[in-house]
Amino acid sequence: MPQNAVKRGDTVLEVRGITKRFPGIIANDDIDFDIKAGEIHAILGENGAGKTTLMKILFGLHQPDEGGIYVHGEKVNFRSPLDAIHLGIGMVHQNRRLIPAHTVIENIVLGHPRAGTILDLKRTGEEISELCDRYGFKVDLKAKVWQLSEGEKQVVEILKALYRGAKILILDEPTSALAPPETKKLLASIKIMTGDELAVVPFITHKLPIVLTISDRVTVLRRGKVTAHLKTADATENSLAQEMVGREVIFRLERVEVEKGKPILQVENLSGLNDKGALALRGVSFSVHEGEILGIAGVSGNGQQVLAEVLAGLRRALGGNVFLDRINITHCSALQRWLKGMGYIPSDRIDVGSIGDYSLAENVFMNYYFDDEFSKWGIVDSIKVRRLTEELISEYGVVAPGSDTTAKSLSGGNLQKLILARVLSRKPRLLIANLPTQGLDVGATEFVQNKLLEAKKERAGILLISEDLDEILSLSDRVAPIYEGEFMGIIPVEQAKREDIGAMMAGLKPQVART
Amino acid sequence: MKLGGYEVKLEKKLKVTGWEAAIISILAILVALALVSLIFLQAGVNPLVGYKAIFSYAFANLFGLPLTINRSVFILLCTCAFIVPMRAGLWNIGMAGQLYAGALGAFAVALAFGAKGSQGMNLAPAIVIPSMMVGAVLGGGLIGAIPGFLKGRLNTNEIVVTMMLNSIAFWLVSYMIKEGGPFMGGGGEGEGYKLPQSIYAPLILGGPFTIPIALGLAGLLHFMFARTKTGYQIKAYGLSPSAARYAGISAYNVPLLVFLIGGIVSGLAGYHYFAALPGVFKITRNYGDLGDLSFYGIICGLISQGNPLAAIPIALLFGGLTNGGRFVQGQLKIGFGIDYALLGVLMITLVAFQFFYRHSIVWHKSRRES
Repeated sequence: MPQNAVKRGDTVLEVRGITKRFPGIIANDDIDFDIKAGEIHAILGENGAGKTTLMKILFGLHQPDEGGIYVHGEKVNFRSPLDAIHLGIGMVHQNRRLIPAHTVIENIVLGHPRAGTILDLKRTGEEISELCDRYGFKVDLKAKVWQLSEGEKQVVEILKALYRGAKILILDEPTSALAPPETKKLLASIKIMTGDELAVVPFITHKLPIVLTISDRVTVLRRGKVTAHLKTADATENSLAQEMVGREVIFRLERVEVEKGKPILQVENLSGLNDKGALALRGVSFSVHEGEILGIAGVSGNGQQVLAEVLAGLRRALGGNVFLDRINITHCSALQRWLKGMGYIPSDRIDVGSIGDYSLAENVFMNYYFDDEFSKWGIVDSIKVRRLTEELISEYGVVAPGSDTTAKSLSGGNLQKLILARVLSRKPRLLIANLPTQGLDVGATEFVQNKLLEAKKERAGILLISEDLDEILSLSDRVAPIYEGEFMGIIPVEQAKREDIGAMMAGLKPQVART
Repeated sequence: MKLGGYEVKLEKKLKVTGWEAAIISILAILVALALVSLIFLQAGVNPLVGYKAIFSYAFANLFGLPLTINRSVFILLCTCAFIVPMRAGLWNIGMAGQLYAGALGAFAVALAFGAKGSQGMNLAPAIVIPSMMVGAVLGGGLIGAIPGFLKGRLNTNEIVVTMMLNSIAFWLVSYMIKEGGPFMGGGGEGEGYKLPQSIYAPLILGGPFTIPIALGLAGLLHFMFARTKTGYQIKAYGLSPSAARYAGISAYNVPLLVFLIGGIVSGLAGYHYFAALPGVFKITRNYGDLGDLSFYGIICGLISQGNPLAAIPIALLFGGLTNGGRFVQGQLKIGFGIDYALLGVLMITLVAFQFFYRHSIVWHKSRRES
């Protein structure tokens, strides 16, 4: 293969005029770019911009309708990912595809053509450590994958691709599951790894600072089209966002100062188990006041989900108490909590927050069926429900043909707007917002965040759970970093320093206890 | 795919209208009939003659038509008993046991009124008949509620529980009607006792009054699913249990409720067959066959996609084919169960044709690629 002769700056991959249509949409419309050896070339775009389709085309999972891919100047035709792998293209998926009970070596060798019936783990191990030395990775190859941090797992995925001979690495949202310190570490090693001969193509949705720190060049996609090819040195966060969204984006949210009222939610020493029966929430105590946003910052899987579900009445508390307006609701059902003025925006908007086969009106009814105003003698007043839905659709700018559309036909952002509209229209006293902007594009994120601030202005108490530290810092009044089911402190946002919070999210207790 | 000068493609369909569904079902039936004609041919019978005999006996014969209708109503009730849990995403395989329990309930009430005496004894139908129906509802509802309760509280598998209850109820009936059991009839033929003439079910337009009840029930259930809060909650639970829980819909009450309704409707099927059909009025020796027949409720429920109104014509078709098929088999001297063959093929084609609920075939002249 000609790869051996690759020098820094050589064009290794070219994409020319790629178009891919799906029924009703053009996912990729005449896309052009090229990738050079020794370069990190980020592909940036919101959800729905066509990144996933493009990625799948590059990895041979989809075939383009028009246009072509050229590897080392030769036109190629991928029928399956195997063809792509043979030509030195590797893919690191966003969702880890590793076996937790196996060692690092075993995971790396899995699926490798040489892993036939007999494994020579010793030789493989030597080859992999050679690879590690060459690209500057430090991983314990004998460790089981479940013992690794998320960042290390990412490295294993990268090693796996490299071991199969990848020279062009596609990274799908490389830092999405990482805490800030780990993100930093990973980015540094990617830079070192790239060196002279690799080409790295990270696909990134909205983490603009990462694009700016890591990449050499950026290609921005919007609605299936390339809107810009930029040298990263010439780009700023604002210019990238503008290319991505197609209009100017206000990054600073108007902070609303609301006089803090009496406590709405009081939680005492609350603990709970996760689905596997392990202690995932280890005795947290806090309160949320009227007109206050308490932000819970953490990397996913540190007990936030369990906390949200216990508070919403969807999971039994193992111990401790929850008070809503001074009434003990620890043993109340989810329905009783809705009736008492709690509102919950779940993190899983597709399987929990909505019912795909139900119409939008029926989805809105999920939070209103228990309301006597909308039914008489048990018969639903569907005209009223439809009217409410149409009001919410127009007020929240949900893009949908009407209230009869099914929820599954909405995009993520529109679905989240609908859920938000439905929950907020009940004027909850306490709102639990679990990852309210996860996976949303810049425009929808901005919208959701502003709606949360509006609710705060109307004196709701808000518990905001987020993995996005910027979001936590810009919205919350107080910040509680969570690590392995415990709060590492509760800090007023004025005193919260980014680095401190980031360190606490990774499990480091602050030197001086602050409250 | 290319066929001659045409390009043929499958496209996903988002919605299917009632008319399209009806046309697709009719096509499926025609295909099934065409396939079974091969069986007729193989048996040396002209399929046209065979079908003519089946359909004319089932739907245009003075003796055959009432039998068809009675059977179909029985199947319709079993279908409704299956559909209600189905809409909650749960499988009721226990219509047999529930209808046995319903029959036992009805005959226990009649027994309490002293009905086991002579055929000519005089009981007040206005009191006894409704009481017997209440007995059937209680019997069916009680045994039906068990899998629902266990599902909600302990998350047991409702399929296993209902199937086990089928067995229990089957042998319970056997105990009650045979060899000295409390419901044993006078003839000593292993049958239940016969109801006195005075409490025979009243006829409406020549058929037992349970026919309009069954049709009304199907309409009522349709209304429940289309318009009521209860129906909304059941459907929500069926479409997405986790979303239903999020909305505060009880994961305990929904399974209990749907199985309770299912059991009640099955119980009425038991009343309909054993206590309301002309010429029966007892728990017959071959009551197990009725249990087998109740399983057609599953197929009808699946074909009607959980719509109780759509279940009416399908139950009628199935009732007619079992009835006509069995008749023709004797008449044309076919040596095997043509009714089962026909129903079996019909089930397969109906289910296979549901593919077209979600896909449509489009074709257009293929263009030269540029």
